[in-house]
Amino acid sequence: MAEAVTKKAPSNKATVTLTIDGRSVTVDKGTTVLEAARSLGIHVPTFCWHPKLKSVGSCRMCYVEIEKMPKLQVSCATEAMDGMVVATDSDLVKQGRRAVIEFILMNHPLDCPTCDQGGECQLQDLTFAHAIDDSRFAFQKERFVEDGSVSTFDDVQIGPEIMLNRNRCIQCYKCVRANKEAFGEFDLGAFERGNITEINAAPGRQVDNPFSGNLAEICPVGALTGMDWRYKIRVWLTKTVSSICPFTASGVNTLMYMDETKNRIYRTTSRRNDEIDDGWLSNVSRYAYQVVHADDRLLTPFIRRDGKQVEATWDEALDLIAKRLSDIQDQKGCVCIGGLVSPRLDNATLYGFNKLMRHVIGTNNVDYRTEYRMLPQTPEDHYQAACSQPIRISDVDDSDVIVVFGSDMLKEHPNLYLRIRKAFNFGAARIFILNPYSTKASDVAELEMVYHAGMDEVALGAVCLTAVEKGIVSSDETDRLREAIAFDSASAAALACGLEPDHLELMARAMAEARKVTFLAGEIISRSREREPIAAAICNLNRLFSINTKGQFGILPGHSNSRGAHHLGLAPDPPASIKAKLRSLWGQYPDTETNTTDSMMVQMRKEEIDGLIIMGANPVMLYPDRAFARESLEKLDFLVVSDLFETETTELADVVLPLSSWAEYTGDYVNLEGRVQTASKAIHPIGDSRPGYAIVEAIADRLENTLYTAEDYRRDEIDTMLEVDTACPVPNLYVPSKGGQDEDDAEYPIALMIGDDPHHRGHYTEKSASLTSHVGEAYLELSPDLAAGHEIKEGDSVRIESPVGKVVLPARISEHIRNDIVFVPRNFPSAPVTSLLMRKRRIDRVRISKVVR
Amino acid sequence: MSFYSPVRTNASEVAESDRLHLLKYAEDPNQCSIDTYVQRGGYGAWRKALTSMKPEEVITAIKDSGLRGRGGAGFPTGMKWGFVPKDSPKPRYLICNADESEPGTCKDRVIMERDPHAMIEGMAIAAYAIGSHLMFVYIRGEFAHCADQVEKAMNEAYAQGQLGKNIHGSGYDLDMIVHTGGGAYICGEETALLNSLEGLRGMSRIRPPFPAVAGLYGCPTIVNNVESLASVPHIINRGADWYRSLGTEKSAGSKLFSLSGHIKQPGNYEVELGFSLKTLIYDPKYGGGILDDKKLKGVIPGGASTPLLTPDMIEVGLDYESLPEKGSMLGSGAVIVFHEETCIVWVIQRLIHFFRHESCGKCTPCHEGTAWLEKLINRVESGKGEEGDIEKIDDICSNILGRTVCPLGDAAVMPIQSAIELYRDEWEHHIRHGKCLVKSQFGLK
Ligand SMILES: Cc1cc2nc3c(=O)[nH]c(=O)nc-3n(C[C@H](O)[C@H](O)[C@H](O)COP(=O)(O)O)c2cc1C
Ligand code: SF4
Ligand code: SF4
Ligand code: FES
Repeated sequence: MAEAVTKKAPSNKATVTLTIDGRSVTVDKGTTVLEAARSLGIHVPTFCWHPKLKSVGSCRMCYVEIEKMPKLQVSCATEAMDGMVVATDSDLVKQGRRAVIEFILMNHPLDCPTCDQGGECQLQDLTFAHAIDDSRFAFQKERFVEDGSVSTFDDVQIGPEIMLNRNRCIQCYKCVRANKEAFGEFDLGAFERGNITEINAAPGRQVDNPFSGNLAEICPVGALTGMDWRYKIRVWLTKTVSSICPFTASGVNTLMYMDETKNRIYRTTSRRNDEIDDGWLSNVSRYAYQVVHADDRLLTPFIRRDGKQVEATWDEALDLIAKRLSDIQDQKGCVCIGGLVSPRLDNATLYGFNKLMRHVIGTNNVDYRTEYRMLPQTPEDHYQAACSQPIRISDVDDSDVIVVFGSDMLKEHPNLYLRIRKAFNFGAARIFILNPYSTKASDVAELEMVYHAGMDEVALGAVCLTAVEKGIVSSDETDRLREAIAFDSASAAALACGLEPDHLELMARAMAEARKVTFLAGEIISRSREREPIAAAICNLNRLFSINTKGQFGILPGHSNSRGAHHLGLAPDPPASIKAKLRSLWGQYPDTETNTTDSMMVQMRKEEIDGLIIMGANPVMLYPDRAFARESLEKLDFLVVSDLFETETTELADVVLPLSSWAEYTGDYVNLEGRVQTASKAIHPIGDSRPGYAIVEAIADRLENTLYTAEDYRRDEIDTMLEVDTACPVPNLYVPSKGGQDEDDAEYPIALMIGDDPHHRGHYTEKSASLTSHVGEAYLELSPDLAAGHEIKEGDSVRIESPVGKVVLPARISEHIRNDIVFVPRNFPSAPVTSLLMRKRRIDRVRISKVVR
Repeated sequence: MSFYSPVRTNASEVAESDRLHLLKYAEDPNQCSIDTYVQRGGYGAWRKALTSMKPEEVITAIKDSGLRGRGGAGFPTGMKWGFVPKDSPKPRYLICNADESEPGTCKDRVIMERDPHAMIEGMAIAAYAIGSHLMFVYIRGEFAHCADQVEKAMNEAYAQGQLGKNIHGSGYDLDMIVHTGGGAYICGEETALLNSLEGLRGMSRIRPPFPAVAGLYGCPTIVNNVESLASVPHIINRGADWYRSLGTEKSAGSKLFSLSGHIKQPGNYEVELGFSLKTLIYDPKYGGGILDDKKLKGVIPGGASTPLLTPDMIEVGLDYESLPEKGSMLGSGAVIVFHEETCIVWVIQRLIHFFRHESCGKCTPCHEGTAWLEKLINRVESGKGEEGDIEKIDDICSNILGRTVCPLGDAAVMPIQSAIELYRDEWEHHIRHGKCLVKSQFGLK
């Protein structure tokens, strides 16, 4: 299968050779005895060890005997040394482990019949394995009870999705360690000492961080269990299916637990892939499966009759689509039809969609970025180049300098966010963050540099000029660079974007001196109207610091298959190499005008586009100008929308087609690295829904034009498209990177940033009960000072007004945000925040006021 | 001026010229003021080290002196300093461990209260030797008075230019931070101390890496006991040979012993290592004999974590070699004496209660084992013990001994195992007769 990334050469690390249970093994220096044993397939039992956390050696279950060492050693925290002779199952080892289990069981409630960990409990399994069936402990067991009241199960809910039973806890501390070491969260802690040590939520807090679901997954016993899963089904009655998270561009690997007889998914856990996710799931990835079973899924097609959408059969719907599209084609030509598709859909769907639009219908009105702001009609060379650079997630680990630019990493790429934390905690990375507002990753950053909103390319230009002026890098094209940046000096650029010259110098030096740099830009850039000049600035920076020769750089694609959409040619005007491939596959390629989401909307208003097919996208809710999007779509003669749910966009449709979710058919997705991964079918399609690829093929059929001559052809064509040997070339010239600025608006002084809440992604996750139990409504995030200036307190209703709209939201006061910026999540249909936005603006500005009742 | 803690020291008993160095001026409240301290030669060693010795020379001098850690483990101090990686680009830290919480031990307290500058001077020399520019003292939370004294002394030292920037024109900068603990015995264990100082839960860390390589904030760190550090200026002043001339061949120097329990004259006594335990207990200059002239029943020679000695074992030198020969250890130097009317099961009950309460909760054998032991020992002590309990206690001890992250687990069980071995009849009496042998013998209630 195609892969856009190249394999890393094996590292030639020093090795050691030791003997374990009489077998010799050679491992990298620094490997633990435990891992060395596992590499031989020798299973040493553990409770507290976790492959992605620092060893603490606390449970003492992993004892081994090592020659010349009189005491038992814990293999999880003992480094393998040359010449060691290790026994993992000597009598002494067995005795030691039995003693540990005896100690653990001492105060353990032995309440297995009422415990939901049954069947996947390490304590059960290891007790069984050590044939312990009696206890010498003849005292009343210690028992935690809540406020003196003994509830039947001693369960305490410590977070929206986490149930705690302290009596079952074996004090392995994996939960607290993961929370702190891997996630940087402090909402869970250990209290008291000795045998009455207690795991619990931090005082006055809930365990509700965006990675909290992992805690239940890694707890080896039934002390922490997930509310979504407990007592619903016994684990041995489920079947597991490997899948991919549909909401993260990293393509986090998951396992879905399903019951075939009920056609139902019961939970998602990690399917650890160290190259991508290290075995951690964000809550979004974990609870996404609930979207599949939301009770308002669309179950049948609908057709608009006499102004109302009424249920219809697939045949009726498809006939109508074919007829109306043909009518439009006949009357006004194929350029009057357009298509918008979601980059969350799988390769077969995306490719089929492309082929339907361009090959069968013959239009270049195709786009997949329905959430990005209008772009003047310029070619997106730099942007597409920066978006298709080879990125390897695992290369973050050993980067010594990591720069995050224009990205709220936690919200956009939770697993990359964890990688960056890991590079800081476990590696030696120096982290620099350049953003228009402060983000959660700042605690691991050496420097967080917050520039004025809308000054993205100037900030990068200032870094470049500083490097040149201070002689940090040498360049014989300084004049060109200066010209490209449109500032005469570093200090002028620094002043304009509001950054400290010292900080710029520190960052420039770090990048210049680094052995391996990772530079990642994100959605704040992609959503900007000026993404092309900003991308040019990124390419300039790359050129000056040679980042791609000693590391990696790029703009991260936003969705689970954005990269696939790019490679499969779903951009309105794909790069020439992609167009050439399509032409050779299809024997032709339309030469009509190309239109983006925005320019298609403009054409709809002029009645130059009359028919539109939308698949999986919800532009009315998410296009950054709600009124404009709605009015444009209302002008259409004929709108087909295929989605999982009724949405703001399906409301306007003439035909609504029920779409199957990623869990209901097998599909391939290209993650942000260019890695092709498969999400297998877990359940049969819900209701009468159909996978996207089947829908586009059915439409093509009705248009009397089969998309593929045989099933194989689909795969062959897609494989051809995904054979990407190189990224789009980075232009090797300094190019002007000055973007356009908006006029300041005195009436609307505050910049508005819109994005995802850490517990949500786009417009579907609101259907997941577990995710809404964390965050269930939109809010306005603002700084304490700004709040105080408007006499706003936490939770107060605040009116947010822009020149085009007004929304009322509760206030959430945050120390992390600047006084001239507010943030609002876009994930809640009940809070139509895109109605505040204007598509032509670079920065949206608003004013706020407290709602007085 | 009176002392906050009226603990007796042997400084008042001996002529000044014959006194050893650590407690030489312990009975003089003026010793706490920097002027008096300097008048008596104080900070001379610091100046000497800083201006005329290279860091390696300081380390060599301490190595040659034979000084061993006075915090309990007795690790050679100079050797420990030498473990700090020479080429590490990271900052190094020196930490003075003043968490003194081992039951019976109160020797560091007397230094901090009565000669705080000696500790600070020793810390400064140690910091210089390892190339540290920031040093901490971690003082037991309950020792509020010590913290006041040390802080006062530190401020005096800063004011006089003994600490701060460019000390004595040498170009060497050194800062000091006084930190008080939150009240956990485990935070005296050096790695738990590091966690506590970093603001984390006081829990021991697994070794390796040793603190000298990756300690505070992952940087090379040396942790030394108050007494170890307070000995350093004397060694620098008077030379390694002088120090070696004190004590025995393998246990050089002098040491403080905190004498407590059923003793006529409890107090802190400084003697040369190798000094007779019997003399310490009975000599009128020191303990002056058993309270009410009762018969001796047993001694804990080195703090709550060391195995017991019976009266026939007390003709032993207090040093790092002789005590192990008798099956015990020098430990922190807390000598706890019991007379004949003491029930050993009760003594052990008190000890296990302490260790159970202080277990940090990290390793299974320690946190569960000590809790189980306490329950069993309570049962035996109260006369409700069952046949087999002694063996069970002994077996649980074996499942803890040598199987934990830090030595607290060992510390909890070693006195128990020795008490069973040495006083088995008392344990058996508790079980077989449902009551205490000692109480019946002496007609006590
Ligand atoms: C449970 C426990 C408590 C300890 N408490 C102290 C203490 O209060 N003071 C101290 O100096 N060392 C204490 N230690 C020893 C320290 O871990 C460490 O060995 C010592 O501070 C090193 O200093 P030294 O080499 O100068 O003796 C303790 C050790 C353990 C295991
Ligand atoms: S709650 Fe679970 S994961 Fe956390 S310490 Fe207890 S047993 Fe370990
Ligand atoms: S031995 Fe006890 S005190 Fe030491 S680390 Fe283990 S549990 Fe904590
Ligand atoms: S797995 Fe090694 S001590 Fe817990």
